[in-house]
Amino acid sequence: MAEADRQQQVRRPRLGTGQIALESAEPIAEPSEQVRSSHRFSDPALSELSLETLLDELLNRTQEALGVDTVAILLLDGEAQQLVARAAKGIEEEVERGVRIPIGRGFAGRIAAERVAIFIADVDHADVLNPILREKGIRSLLGAPLIVEGTLIGVLHVGSLTPRTFGQDDLAVLQLAAARAAPAIERASLRAQLAHEHSVSVALQRSLLPKGMGEFTGMRVAVRYVPAREEVGGDWYDVIELPRGRVGLVIGDVVGHGIAAAALMGRLRTSLHAYAIEGHGPGRTLELVDRFIQSLNEPAMATAAYAVFDTYNSMVQYATAGHLPPVVVSGAEARVVEVTPAPPLGAFPYGRIPEHEIGLAGGDILFLYTDGLVERRGVPLSDGIDALAQSVRGAVSAEEACVAAVADLVPLEGLRDDVAIVALQSSLVPSELHLRLPAEPKTLAQVRRILRRWLVERGANEGDVAEVTIAVSEACANAIEHAYPPAPASFQLDAWGNNGEITVAVRDTGQWRSTRGQNRGRGLSIIVAAMDDVQIDRLDSGTEVVMRRRLRQT
Amino acid sequence: MSLADVQITLAPNALVAHVTGEIDMSNAEEMGATVIGATPIEAQGVVLDLSKLDYLDSAGIYVIYGMRSSLQARGQALILVIPPRSPVHDALRLSGAEHPGEVTEAVEDALRAFDRVDPPSP
Repeated sequence: MAEADRQQQVRRPRLGTGQIALESAEPIAEPSEQVRSSHRFSDPALSELSLETLLDELLNRTQEALGVDTVAILLLDGEAQQLVARAAKGIEEEVERGVRIPIGRGFAGRIAAERVAIFIADVDHADVLNPILREKGIRSLLGAPLIVEGTLIGVLHVGSLTPRTFGQDDLAVLQLAAARAAPAIERASLRAQLAHEHSVSVALQRSLLPKGMGEFTGMRVAVRYVPAREEVGGDWYDVIELPRGRVGLVIGDVVGHGIAAAALMGRLRTSLHAYAIEGHGPGRTLELVDRFIQSLNEPAMATAAYAVFDTYNSMVQYATAGHLPPVVVSGAEARVVEVTPAPPLGAFPYGRIPEHEIGLAGGDILFLYTDGLVERRGVPLSDGIDALAQSVRGAVSAEEACVAAVADLVPLEGLRDDVAIVALQSSLVPSELHLRLPAEPKTLAQVRRILRRWLVERGANEGDVAEVTIAVSEACANAIEHAYPPAPASFQLDAWGNNGEITVAVRDTGQWRSTRGQNRGRGLSIIVAAMDDVQIDRLDSGTEVVMRRRLRQT
Repeated sequence: MSLADVQITLAPNALVAHVTGEIDMSNAEEMGATVIGATPIEAQGVVLDLSKLDYLDSAGIYVIYGMRSSLQARGQALILVIPPRSPVHDALRLSGAEHPGEVTEAVEDALRAFDRVDPPSP
């Protein structure tokens, strides 16, 4: 396929074509004037600079040494497996828009994944993901990985507004810059992280996704926060893990700007989160936050929407207090979900906030955002929202929807108002499950979440779901108990169904241990009582439990 | 988010533990130890409210049996709150086990079962 060809092309240098990979191991010819001038990268003073100053200094020196129009440094966000634009010259928009490039994709993504330098002679005919590079009229690009002690930390790339063939000398300079810059960036980043822990404003501006929430069973979430160019704003998002396989998504916007708005935002975010984990529905949660604002006895107003996504049935309970309507992406289509909004929080005392239901098909994306993304002076708000729907339609992931919206709607000159985005994609449920799972007790809860969603999708009713879930969870508990050394600590779960009958097989590689006390015996009774047919095979290679049940359905 | 939550309140003669979320082999023992550890020696017993519990497996049932034994050894009783048609009711039905202790449908019924002793006057 084309993608495979392209990758081949990258590995085998071929002059005259779009891209040439220059293996870092290749010997570098005679040092030229340029290379000698690049001793400046090893300036010991660099190691004493703060991260921001250091990056700026590196950009300047690289630009000067290579005589290029643009320089950018992207650093790895290991958790998200993305490169984040961190500093740039000539293409400052990269940083302002918070450009994120998935590892392995596009120009910078491939440099990171393959850890090779890449040269692109003609941007128009190459696989370049970042729209800003094209928008700025960059013709040629050269980039190198930033590596510290064998670990990739980012990518350094330079660009030219006129077509330019970067040669071995240029590459040598860039690689030298990368080699010198990487450890200095690493050191400065560590120092900066420590400093950031004490910096409230940074915590507010760059709050991250709760750990591990990017990939929750049954859904995927992506978020963005793009600060305004000049003033601190009061936009926020939140992602809240709730009991019974549910996830809460919050988007909000405090009216006003500056420190006061940011401080109120922090209080509202906390109060909403606290009410949400108490188990209140979205309408009631917003009513309680409204009551909280009223109790402050100070003029304060905010719009907010709270959506609770249920991973079992892919339904969203949604409530809004004066917030802009969400967009739902379904394949190539995107629709604006208009619901009658209640007044903003803090507007009128003791209002009732109704709840609405939004059904998501597997693969659909719920996209929540703040007005900074769609509001443009002199343009009706509805046009901005339509432009957003146009931008995100066809996105294949929550992450891609965020990338598209930011690229299309955040203007090059930066934002007057800050923007928060939280997007959730309901996972496609496969018709069959084939899972290799770690043999640990905490796996059981995950198995039940996956299985419940799968069963609902197969047409199981509530009773089916409850009984099959407990039977399979018991079989998995058996497998986990069998997994003692030296057996490998994992087991296999397969599930399939046809004609209203489902079959679930749980296989481990441990030895069957005879029933230990009443406990395991009771587990087996549950399996037998819940399923129509149960077969247990104790083999030398492990134990297999195959369970069948005809769904009662509704 | 932990899988289950235990909220404990003290009635005049008994400790009431409301268990919500899901109990399985990953957290059953911890739940049992939490409740037993919080039970004052002078209480007549424990009301284990399982009415809002979404999931209970055989490991959980086993731990409840263990709780009953521990309490009995201290001369204390265990009363379970399990309404009909609740997930816990179904789990016990499937396990075929006899109920691990006295069962009522509501917390108030359970509390009534303990002797009424007026709280000490201030």
